[in-house]
Amino acid sequence: MILSSMRNVVFGYDEEPVIDRLSLDIEAGQFIGITGPNGAAKTTLLKLMLGLLRPWDGTVELNGELAADGKLNIGYVPQQIASFNTGFPSSVIELVRSGCYGRLGLFRRFTREQDELVERCLRQVEMWDYRNRRIGELSGGQKQRICIARALTQQPQVLVLDEPTTGMDAASRTGFYKLMRHYVNAHGRTVIMVTHGLEEAGAYLDSVISLERKEKEGWTCLVTNSCSAHFGPED
Amino acid sequence: MLGYEFMQRAFWAGGLIGIIGPLLGVYLMLRRQVLMADTLSHVSLAGVALGSVLQLNPALSGFAVAVAGGLVIEQLRRSYRTYSELPVAIIMTTGLALAVVLMSLKQNLSKSFSSYLFGSIVAVSDTQLRLIAVVAAVGLAYFIVLRRPLYSLTFDEETASISGVRTGLLSFSFAVLTGMTVAAAMPVVGVLLVSALIVLPASLALRIASGFTAAILIAVSAGLLGVFSGLTASYYINTPPGGTIALILLLFLLAAIAAQRLIRLKRRHSKYRNPLHSGKSVQEI
Repeated sequence: MILSSMRNVVFGYDEEPVIDRLSLDIEAGQFIGITGPNGAAKTTLLKLMLGLLRPWDGTVELNGELAADGKLNIGYVPQQIASFNTGFPSSVIELVRSGCYGRLGLFRRFTREQDELVERCLRQVEMWDYRNRRIGELSGGQKQRICIARALTQQPQVLVLDEPTTGMDAASRTGFYKLMRHYVNAHGRTVIMVTHGLEEAGAYLDSVISLERKEKEGWTCLVTNSCSAHFGPED
Repeated sequence: MLGYEFMQRAFWAGGLIGIIGPLLGVYLMLRRQVLMADTLSHVSLAGVALGSVLQLNPALSGFAVAVAGGLVIEQLRRSYRTYSELPVAIIMTTGLALAVVLMSLKQNLSKSFSSYLFGSIVAVSDTQLRLIAVVAAVGLAYFIVLRRPLYSLTFDEETASISGVRTGLLSFSFAVLTGMTVAAAMPVVGVLLVSALIVLPASLALRIASGFTAAILIAVSAGLLGVFSGLTASYYINTPPGGTIALILLLFLLAAIAAQRLIRLKRRHSKYRNPLHSGKSVQEI
Protein backbone atom coordinates (compact mmCIF):
# COMPACT_ATOMS: atom_id res chain seq x y z
CA MET A 1 0.00 0.00 0.00
CA ILE A 2 1.25 3.50 -0.86
CA LEU A 3 2.04 5.65 2.18
CA SER A 4 3.05 8.90 0.52
CA SER A 5 2.55 10.06 -3.01
CA MET A 6 4.18 13.10 -4.60
CA ARG A 7 3.26 14.27 -8.08
CA ASN A 8 5.25 16.83 -10.09
CA VAL A 9 6.40 18.56 -6.92
CA VAL A 10 8.36 21.80 -7.35
CA PHE A 11 9.86 23.58 -4.35
CA GLY A 12 12.64 26.08 -3.61
CA TYR A 13 13.70 28.60 -0.99
CA ASP A 14 14.53 31.55 -3.22
CA GLU A 15 13.90 31.91 -6.92
CA GLU A 16 15.41 28.63 -8.13
CA PRO A 17 13.74 25.34 -7.23
CA VAL A 18 15.75 22.79 -5.24
CA ILE A 19 13.22 20.09 -6.12
CA ASP A 20 11.98 20.27 -9.67
CA ARG A 21 9.00 18.19 -10.81
CA LEU A 22 9.60 15.21 -8.54
CA SER A 23 7.14 12.34 -8.53
CA LEU A 24 7.62 9.76 -5.81
CA ASP A 25 5.65 6.92 -4.26
CA ILE A 26 6.66 5.52 -0.89
CA GLU A 27 5.40 2.10 0.19
CA ALA A 28 4.08 1.54 3.71
CA GLY A 29 5.56 -1.06 6.05
CA GLN A 30 9.18 -0.56 5.02
CA PHE A 31 12.44 0.79 6.38
CA ILE A 32 13.40 3.42 3.83
CA GLY A 33 16.63 5.39 3.63
CA ILE A 34 17.02 8.77 1.92
CA THR A 35 20.58 9.58 1.01
CA GLY A 36 22.57 12.12 -0.99
CA PRO A 37 25.27 14.77 -0.60
CA ASN A 38 24.87 17.97 1.44
CA GLY A 39 22.36 20.30 -0.16
CA ALA A 40 20.64 17.49 -2.05
CA ALA A 41 17.27 18.55 -0.53
CA LYS A 42 16.89 15.44 1.64
CA THR A 43 15.45 17.37 4.59
CA THR A 44 13.33 19.44 2.22
CA LEU A 45 11.90 16.23 0.78
CA LEU A 46 10.99 15.05 4.30
CA LYS A 47 9.40 18.35 5.23
CA LEU A 48 7.35 18.39 2.03
CA MET A 49 6.19 14.87 2.80
CA LEU A 50 5.20 15.89 6.34
CA GLY A 51 3.39 19.03 5.22
CA LEU A 52 5.83 21.36 7.03
CA LEU A 53 6.59 22.96 3.65
CA ARG A 54 4.12 23.68 0.89
CA PRO A 55 5.21 22.91 -2.68
CA TRP A 56 5.25 25.68 -5.28
CA ASP A 57 3.55 23.30 -7.62
CA GLY A 58 2.36 19.69 -7.67
CA THR A 59 0.70 17.60 -4.97
CA VAL A 60 1.83 15.74 -1.86
CA GLU A 61 -0.51 13.23 -0.27
CA LEU A 62 -0.29 11.02 2.80
CA ASN A 63 -2.53 7.98 2.76
CA GLY A 64 -4.99 8.45 5.61
CA GLU A 65 -6.49 4.99 4.96
CA LEU A 66 -3.58 3.52 6.88
CA ALA A 67 -5.04 4.95 10.09
CA ALA A 68 -8.32 3.81 11.62
CA ASP A 69 -9.48 7.40 12.20
CA GLY A 70 -8.10 8.66 8.89
CA LYS A 71 -5.36 10.61 10.65
CA LEU A 72 -1.86 9.17 10.51
CA ASN A 73 0.13 9.16 13.72
CA ILE A 74 3.58 10.37 12.68
CA GLY A 75 6.65 10.51 14.89
CA TYR A 76 9.30 12.98 13.74
CA VAL A 77 12.85 13.54 14.92
CA PRO A 78 14.31 16.55 13.08
CA GLN A 79 17.98 17.02 12.22
CA GLN A 80 20.01 17.54 15.41
CA ILE A 81 16.93 18.44 17.41
CA ALA A 82 18.82 17.74 20.61
CA SER A 83 21.64 20.19 20.03
CA PHE A 84 19.18 22.96 19.14
CA ASN A 85 17.61 23.30 22.57
CA THR A 86 20.46 22.46 24.92
CA GLY A 87 19.31 24.64 27.80
CA PHE A 88 15.83 23.15 28.00
CA PRO A 89 15.24 22.52 31.72
CA SER A 90 13.74 19.08 31.41
CA SER A 91 14.68 15.72 32.85
CA VAL A 92 15.06 12.82 30.43
CA ILE A 93 11.90 11.11 31.65
CA GLU A 94 9.82 14.30 31.42
CA LEU A 95 10.83 14.71 27.79
CA VAL A 96 10.19 11.09 26.83
CA ARG A 97 6.81 11.04 28.63
CA SER A 98 5.77 14.03 26.52
CA GLY A 99 5.61 11.63 23.56
CA CYS A 100 2.39 10.29 25.11
CA TYR A 101 0.71 13.72 25.28
CA GLY A 102 -0.95 13.32 21.87
CA ARG A 103 -2.94 10.28 23.05
CA LEU A 104 -3.55 11.62 26.56
CA GLY A 105 -4.96 14.96 25.45
CA LEU A 106 -5.12 17.77 27.99
CA PHE A 107 -6.25 16.05 31.17
CA ARG A 108 -6.05 12.23 31.05
CA ARG A 109 -3.58 10.76 33.52
CA PHE A 110 -0.75 8.42 32.61
CA THR A 111 -1.76 4.79 32.85
CA ARG A 112 0.48 1.97 34.03
CA GLU A 113 0.76 0.77 30.39
CA GLN A 114 2.03 4.19 29.34
CA ASP A 115 4.56 4.28 32.15
CA GLU A 116 5.74 0.83 31.04
CA LEU A 117 5.91 2.02 27.43
CA VAL A 118 8.08 4.99 28.44
CA GLU A 119 10.39 2.65 30.36
CA ARG A 120 10.55 0.19 27.46
CA CYS A 121 11.40 2.91 24.93
CA LEU A 122 14.10 4.34 27.19
CA ARG A 123 15.56 0.87 27.70
CA GLN A 124 15.47 0.23 23.94
CA VAL A 125 17.75 3.21 23.37
CA GLU A 126 19.78 2.29 26.48
CA MET A 127 18.94 5.50 28.34
CA TRP A 128 16.81 4.20 31.24
CA ASP A 129 19.66 4.71 33.72
CA TYR A 130 19.77 8.39 32.76
CA ARG A 131 16.04 9.00 33.25
CA ASN A 132 16.42 11.53 36.07
CA ARG A 133 19.28 13.46 34.48
CA ARG A 134 18.73 16.91 33.02
CA ILE A 135 18.88 16.73 29.21
CA GLY A 136 21.42 19.57 29.03
CA GLU A 137 23.93 17.35 30.87
CA LEU A 138 23.87 14.65 28.19
CA SER A 139 26.17 14.24 25.21
CA GLY A 140 24.93 14.87 21.66
CA GLY A 141 24.48 11.16 20.91
CA GLN A 142 22.60 10.59 24.18
CA LYS A 143 20.28 13.52 23.48
CA GLN A 144 19.61 12.11 20.04
CA ARG A 145 18.70 8.76 21.60
CA ILE A 146 16.19 10.25 24.03
CA CYS A 147 14.57 12.20 21.20
CA ILE A 148 14.17 8.88 19.37
CA ALA A 149 12.71 7.30 22.54
CA ARG A 150 10.26 10.22 22.74
CA ALA A 151 9.16 9.60 19.14
CA LEU A 152 8.77 5.85 19.88
CA THR A 153 6.47 6.49 22.87
CA GLN A 154 4.09 8.12 20.40
CA GLN A 155 3.73 4.61 18.92
CA PRO A 156 3.58 6.18 15.47
CA GLN A 157 2.48 4.38 12.34
CA VAL A 158 5.19 6.28 10.49
CA LEU A 159 8.50 7.27 12.03
CA VAL A 160 10.39 10.01 10.17
CA LEU A 161 14.00 10.55 11.21
CA ASP A 162 16.40 13.16 9.86
CA GLU A 163 19.99 11.97 10.38
CA PRO A 164 19.06 10.29 13.66
CA THR A 165 22.44 8.68 14.32
CA THR A 166 24.40 11.96 14.37
CA GLY A 167 26.68 11.91 17.42
CA MET A 168 26.12 8.20 18.17
CA ASP A 169 29.02 5.77 18.47
CA ALA A 170 29.25 2.73 16.14
CA ALA A 171 27.69 0.26 18.60
CA SER A 172 24.76 2.59 19.30
CA ARG A 173 24.21 3.11 15.57
CA THR A 174 24.07 -0.64 14.91
CA GLY A 175 21.71 -1.12 17.86
CA PHE A 176 19.53 1.66 16.52
CA TYR A 177 19.30 0.18 13.00
CA LYS A 178 18.38 -3.21 14.49
CA LEU A 179 15.70 -1.57 16.63
CA MET A 180 14.18 0.17 13.60
CA ARG A 181 14.30 -3.09 11.63
CA HIS A 182 12.44 -4.81 14.48
CA TYR A 183 9.93 -1.94 14.61
CA VAL A 184 9.12 -2.47 10.93
CA ASN A 185 9.12 -6.30 10.97
CA ALA A 186 7.28 -6.91 14.24
CA HIS A 187 4.81 -4.01 14.21
CA GLY A 188 4.35 -3.37 10.49
CA ARG A 189 5.28 0.30 10.89
CA THR A 190 7.05 2.49 8.34
CA VAL A 191 10.40 4.13 9.07
CA ILE A 192 11.79 6.83 6.78
CA MET A 193 15.32 7.92 7.61
CA VAL A 194 17.69 10.44 6.09
CA THR A 195 21.20 9.06 6.43
CA HIS A 196 24.76 9.62 5.27
CA GLY A 197 25.84 6.21 6.55
CA LEU A 198 24.53 3.98 3.78
CA GLU A 199 27.48 1.60 4.19
CA GLU A 200 26.35 0.82 7.74
CA ALA A 201 22.61 1.18 7.40
CA GLY A 202 22.23 -0.31 3.92
CA ALA A 203 21.94 -3.90 5.13
CA TYR A 204 18.93 -3.03 7.29
CA LEU A 205 17.01 -0.97 4.72
CA ASP A 206 14.26 -2.17 2.38
CA SER A 207 14.60 0.74 -0.02
CA VAL A 208 16.92 3.65 -0.67
CA ILE A 209 16.00 6.97 -2.23
CA SER A 210 19.24 8.46 -3.48
CA LEU A 211 19.31 12.13 -4.44
CA GLU A 212 22.28 13.00 -6.62
CA ARG A 213 23.46 15.93 -8.71
CA LYS A 214 24.67 15.30 -12.25
CA GLU A 215 26.69 17.99 -14.03
CA LYS A 216 24.39 18.49 -17.01
CA GLU A 217 21.15 16.85 -15.99
CA GLY A 218 20.67 18.69 -12.66
CA TRP A 219 19.19 16.75 -9.75
CA THR A 220 18.22 13.12 -10.16
CA CYS A 221 16.45 10.81 -7.81
CA LEU A 222 17.59 7.19 -7.98
CA VAL A 223 15.44 4.69 -6.15
CA THR A 224 16.14 1.09 -5.33
CA ASN A 225 13.57 -1.60 -4.63
CA SER A 226 9.93 -0.79 -4.11
CA CYS A 227 9.85 3.00 -4.04
CA SER A 228 9.33 4.61 -7.40
CA ALA A 229 10.26 8.09 -8.41
CA HIS A 230 11.26 10.22 -11.34
CA PHE A 231 11.94 13.83 -12.19
CA GLY A 232 10.03 15.43 -15.03
CA PRO A 233 6.36 15.78 -15.99
CA GLU A 234 4.11 12.91 -14.99
CA ASP A 235 2.48 11.19 -17.97
CA MET B 1 2.32 47.56 57.63
CA LEU B 2 -0.59 45.36 56.52
CA GLY B 3 -2.99 47.52 58.55
CA TYR B 4 -2.92 50.04 55.69
CA GLU B 5 -5.37 49.33 52.90
CA PHE B 6 -2.95 50.57 50.22
CA MET B 7 -0.35 48.05 51.40
CA GLN B 8 -2.91 45.24 51.36
CA ARG B 9 -3.75 46.13 47.75
CA ALA B 10 -0.04 46.33 46.92
CA PHE B 11 0.56 42.84 48.34
CA TRP B 12 -2.43 41.43 46.43
CA ALA B 13 -1.35 43.02 43.15
CA GLY B 14 2.29 42.09 43.65
CA GLY B 15 1.42 38.53 44.63
CA LEU B 16 -0.72 38.01 41.53
CA ILE B 17 1.91 39.41 39.17
CA GLY B 18 4.58 37.55 41.14
CA ILE B 19 2.88 34.28 40.13
CA ILE B 20 1.93 34.91 36.52
CA GLY B 21 5.02 36.97 35.49
CA PRO B 22 7.67 34.35 36.32
CA LEU B 23 5.47 31.57 34.91
CA LEU B 24 5.25 33.42 31.61
CA GLY B 25 8.95 34.22 31.85
CA VAL B 26 9.99 30.55 31.82
CA TYR B 27 8.18 29.98 28.52
CA LEU B 28 9.39 33.29 27.01
CA MET B 29 13.01 32.46 27.78
CA LEU B 30 12.74 28.96 26.36
CA ARG B 31 11.09 30.31 23.21
CA ARG B 32 13.99 32.77 22.77
CA GLN B 33 11.58 35.68 23.22
CA VAL B 34 13.05 37.11 26.37
CA LEU B 35 12.97 40.69 25.07
CA MET B 36 9.28 40.42 24.24
CA ALA B 37 8.20 41.56 27.70
CA ASP B 38 10.44 44.61 27.51
CA THR B 39 9.20 45.41 24.01
CA LEU B 40 5.55 45.07 24.91
CA SER B 41 6.01 47.32 27.89
CA HIS B 42 7.24 50.04 25.51
CA VAL B 43 4.35 49.32 23.17
CA SER B 44 1.99 49.51 26.12
CA LEU B 45 3.45 52.88 27.06
CA ALA B 46 2.59 54.10 23.56
CA GLY B 47 -0.96 52.81 24.20
CA VAL B 48 -1.14 54.76 27.45
CA ALA B 49 -0.03 57.91 25.63
CA LEU B 50 -2.54 57.26 22.85
CA GLY B 51 -5.33 56.84 25.40
CA SER B 52 -4.42 60.13 27.05
CA VAL B 53 -4.34 61.98 23.74
CA LEU B 54 -7.68 60.48 22.63
CA GLN B 55 -9.29 61.06 26.06
CA LEU B 56 -9.65 57.29 26.71
CA ASN B 57 -8.81 55.35 29.87
CA PRO B 58 -4.97 55.15 29.59
CA ALA B 59 -4.76 51.83 31.48
CA LEU B 60 -7.22 50.15 29.13
CA SER B 61 -5.72 51.64 25.96
CA GLY B 62 -2.25 50.54 27.15
CA PHE B 63 -3.67 47.07 27.73
CA ALA B 64 -5.28 46.85 24.27
CA VAL B 65 -2.20 48.14 22.44
CA ALA B 66 0.09 45.69 24.32
CA VAL B 67 -2.12 42.76 23.26
CA ALA B 68 -2.14 44.02 19.65
CA GLY B 69 1.67 44.41 19.84
CA GLY B 70 2.00 40.78 20.97
CA LEU B 71 -0.01 39.63 17.96
CA VAL B 72 2.05 41.73 15.53
CA ILE B 73 5.31 40.36 16.97
CA GLU B 74 4.04 36.78 16.59
CA GLN B 75 3.02 37.44 12.98
CA LEU B 76 6.41 39.00 12.21
CA ARG B 77 8.20 36.12 13.96
CA ARG B 78 6.67 33.79 11.40
CA SER B 79 8.02 35.95 8.57
CA TYR B 80 11.52 36.23 10.06
CA ARG B 81 12.07 32.69 11.31
CA THR B 82 15.84 32.91 10.93
CA TYR B 83 16.11 36.25 12.74
CA SER B 84 13.45 35.85 15.42
CA GLU B 85 14.85 38.77 17.47
CA LEU B 86 14.39 41.18 14.55
CA PRO B 87 10.60 41.72 14.90
CA VAL B 88 11.07 42.33 18.62
CA ALA B 89 13.65 45.06 17.89
CA ILE B 90 11.42 46.62 15.21
CA ILE B 91 8.37 46.74 17.48
CA MET B 92 10.39 48.03 20.46
CA THR B 93 11.72 50.96 18.42
CA THR B 94 8.28 51.69 17.02
CA GLY B 95 6.64 51.54 20.46
CA LEU B 96 9.15 53.87 22.07
CA ALA B 97 9.09 56.32 19.17
CA LEU B 98 5.29 56.45 19.22
CA ALA B 99 5.24 56.92 22.99
CA VAL B 100 7.69 59.84 22.84
CA VAL B 101 5.84 61.56 20.00
CA LEU B 102 2.40 61.07 21.56
CA MET B 103 3.65 62.28 24.96
CA SER B 104 4.88 65.47 23.39
CA LEU B 105 1.34 66.20 22.17
CA LYS B 106 0.11 66.55 25.76
CA GLN B 107 2.20 68.76 27.99
CA ASN B 108 0.76 67.64 31.36
CA LEU B 109 1.38 63.95 30.82
CA SER B 110 4.88 63.70 32.25
CA LYS B 111 3.74 63.20 35.86
CA SER B 112 1.34 60.34 35.15
CA PHE B 113 3.94 58.78 32.87
CA SER B 114 6.47 58.60 35.67
CA SER B 115 4.08 56.21 37.49
CA TYR B 116 4.08 53.94 34.44
CA LEU B 117 7.83 54.21 34.00
CA PHE B 118 8.82 53.46 37.58
CA GLY B 119 5.75 51.75 39.00
CA SER B 120 3.40 52.83 41.75
CA ILE B 121 2.31 49.60 43.37
CA VAL B 122 1.34 51.34 46.59
CA ALA B 123 -1.07 53.47 44.56
CA VAL B 124 -2.80 50.56 42.79
CA SER B 125 -6.47 51.39 42.32
CA ASP B 126 -9.36 48.94 42.74
CA THR B 127 -9.87 48.91 38.94
CA GLN B 128 -6.19 48.07 38.36
CA LEU B 129 -6.31 45.38 41.03
CA ARG B 130 -9.38 43.80 39.42
CA LEU B 131 -7.67 43.89 36.01
CA ILE B 132 -4.58 42.20 37.46
CA ALA B 133 -6.76 39.56 39.17
CA VAL B 134 -8.57 38.75 35.91
CA VAL B 135 -5.30 38.52 33.94
CA ALA B 136 -3.70 36.32 36.61
CA ALA B 137 -6.75 34.00 36.70
CA VAL B 138 -6.86 33.73 32.90
CA GLY B 139 -3.10 33.17 32.75
CA LEU B 140 -3.08 30.49 35.44
CA ALA B 141 -5.98 28.65 33.79
CA TYR B 142 -4.17 28.91 30.43
CA PHE B 143 -0.91 27.46 31.74
CA ILE B 144 -2.61 24.69 33.71
CA VAL B 145 -5.01 23.54 30.98
CA LEU B 146 -2.51 23.82 28.11
CA ARG B 147 0.61 22.68 29.98
CA ARG B 148 1.11 19.61 27.76
CA PRO B 149 0.83 21.26 24.33
CA LEU B 150 2.83 24.24 25.64
CA TYR B 151 5.62 21.91 26.75
CA SER B 152 5.71 20.29 23.30
CA LEU B 153 5.58 23.66 21.52
CA THR B 154 8.36 25.09 23.69
CA PHE B 155 10.64 22.10 23.17
CA ASP B 156 10.30 22.04 19.39
CA GLU B 157 7.66 23.69 17.22
CA GLU B 158 8.01 21.35 14.23
CA THR B 159 7.66 18.09 16.15
CA ALA B 160 4.76 19.60 18.12
CA SER B 161 3.02 20.54 14.88
CA ILE B 162 3.43 17.03 13.43
CA SER B 163 2.21 15.36 16.61
CA GLY B 164 -1.06 17.28 16.31
CA VAL B 165 -0.51 20.42 18.41
CA ARG B 166 -2.16 23.46 16.79
CA THR B 167 1.04 25.46 17.02
CA GLY B 168 -0.23 28.58 15.22
CA LEU B 169 -3.23 29.03 17.50
CA LEU B 170 -1.17 28.26 20.59
CA SER B 171 1.57 30.74 19.64
CA PHE B 172 -0.92 33.52 18.96
CA SER B 173 -2.80 32.90 22.22
CA PHE B 174 0.55 32.92 24.04
CA ALA B 175 1.36 36.30 22.46
CA VAL B 176 -2.02 37.67 23.60
CA LEU B 177 -1.40 36.44 27.15
CA THR B 178 2.07 38.02 27.14
CA GLY B 179 0.57 41.36 26.10
CA MET B 180 -2.11 41.08 28.80
CA THR B 181 0.41 40.22 31.52
CA VAL B 182 2.82 42.99 30.59
CA ALA B 183 0.02 45.56 30.54
CA ALA B 184 -1.31 44.34 33.89
CA ALA B 185 2.18 44.32 35.45
CA MET B 186 2.92 47.92 34.41
CA PRO B 187 1.20 49.66 37.33
CA VAL B 188 2.91 47.25 39.73
CA VAL B 189 6.57 47.62 38.79
CA GLY B 190 6.51 50.11 35.92
CA VAL B 191 7.56 49.81 32.29
CA LEU B 192 11.26 49.91 33.07
CA LEU B 193 11.09 46.99 35.50
CA VAL B 194 8.34 44.85 34.04
CA SER B 195 10.79 42.62 32.23
CA ALA B 196 12.78 42.20 35.45
CA LEU B 197 9.81 40.53 37.14
CA ILE B 198 9.29 38.28 34.13
CA VAL B 199 12.92 37.51 33.31
CA LEU B 200 14.87 37.38 36.61
CA PRO B 201 12.91 34.62 38.44
CA ALA B 202 12.86 32.58 35.21
CA SER B 203 16.63 33.03 34.77
CA LEU B 204 17.18 31.78 38.29
CA ALA B 205 14.87 28.80 37.79
CA LEU B 206 16.38 27.72 34.47
CA ARG B 207 19.81 27.80 36.06
CA ILE B 208 19.09 25.54 39.01
CA ALA B 209 16.00 23.45 38.17
CA SER B 210 16.41 19.73 37.59
CA GLY B 211 13.25 19.42 35.51
CA PHE B 212 10.53 21.43 33.79
CA THR B 213 7.97 21.30 36.61
CA ALA B 214 10.71 22.21 39.08
CA ALA B 215 11.66 25.22 36.91
CA ILE B 216 8.08 26.50 36.96
CA LEU B 217 7.78 26.08 40.75
CA ILE B 218 11.15 27.70 41.47
CA ALA B 219 10.37 30.68 39.18
CA VAL B 220 6.99 31.30 40.83
CA SER B 221 8.43 30.91 44.35
CA ALA B 222 11.29 33.30 43.60
CA GLY B 223 8.86 35.79 42.03
CA LEU B 224 6.54 35.75 45.04
CA LEU B 225 9.38 35.95 47.53
CA GLY B 226 10.98 38.81 45.59
CA VAL B 227 7.76 40.80 45.40
CA PHE B 228 6.83 40.35 49.09
CA SER B 229 10.31 41.00 50.44
CA GLY B 230 10.75 43.94 48.05
CA LEU B 231 7.49 45.51 49.16
CA THR B 232 8.34 45.01 52.83
CA ALA B 233 11.83 46.45 52.39
CA SER B 234 10.55 49.44 50.44
CA TYR B 235 7.99 50.16 53.18
CA TYR B 236 10.54 50.16 55.99
CA ILE B 237 13.50 51.81 54.27
CA ASN B 238 11.35 54.13 52.16
CA THR B 239 12.63 53.20 48.68
CA PRO B 240 10.68 52.94 45.38
CA PRO B 241 8.90 49.52 45.46
CA GLY B 242 9.46 48.62 41.79
CA GLY B 243 13.19 49.19 41.90
CA THR B 244 13.50 47.44 45.26
CA ILE B 245 11.66 44.35 43.98
CA ALA B 246 13.87 44.18 40.88
CA LEU B 247 17.07 44.59 42.91
CA ILE B 248 16.03 41.85 45.33
CA LEU B 249 15.26 39.52 42.42
CA LEU B 250 18.68 40.31 41.00
CA LEU B 251 20.23 39.50 44.38
CA PHE B 252 18.39 36.14 44.37
CA LEU B 253 19.83 35.38 40.93
CA LEU B 254 23.39 36.35 41.92
CA ALA B 255 23.10 34.34 45.14
CA ALA B 256 21.86 31.30 43.20
CA ILE B 257 24.73 31.55 40.70
CA ALA B 258 27.27 31.88 43.54
CA ALA B 259 25.71 29.00 45.53
CA GLN B 260 25.66 26.77 42.45
CA ARG B 261 29.35 27.46 41.77
CA LEU B 262 30.28 26.81 45.38
CA ILE B 263 28.39 23.51 45.42
CA ARG B 264 30.06 22.41 42.18
CA LEU B 265 33.49 23.38 43.49
CA LYS B 266 32.85 21.54 46.74
CA ARG B 267 31.71 18.40 44.90
CA ARG B 268 34.72 18.50 42.60
CA HIS B 269 37.02 19.06 45.54
CA SER B 270 35.58 16.17 47.56
CA LYS B 271 35.79 13.88 44.53
CA TYR B 272 39.42 14.56 43.68
CA ARG B 273 40.80 15.20 47.17
CA ASN B 274 40.39 11.60 48.36
CA PRO B 275 43.01 9.94 46.11
CA LEU B 276 45.63 12.45 47.31
CA HIS B 277 44.74 11.73 50.92
CA SER B 278 44.95 7.99 50.57
CA GLY B 279 47.77 7.76 48.05
CA LYS B 280 50.89 9.57 46.97
CA SER B 281 51.17 13.15 45.79
CA VAL B 282 52.06 13.92 42.17
CA GLN B 283 55.62 14.80 43.14
CA GLU B 284 56.06 11.50 44.96
CA ILE B 285 54.91 9.53 41.94
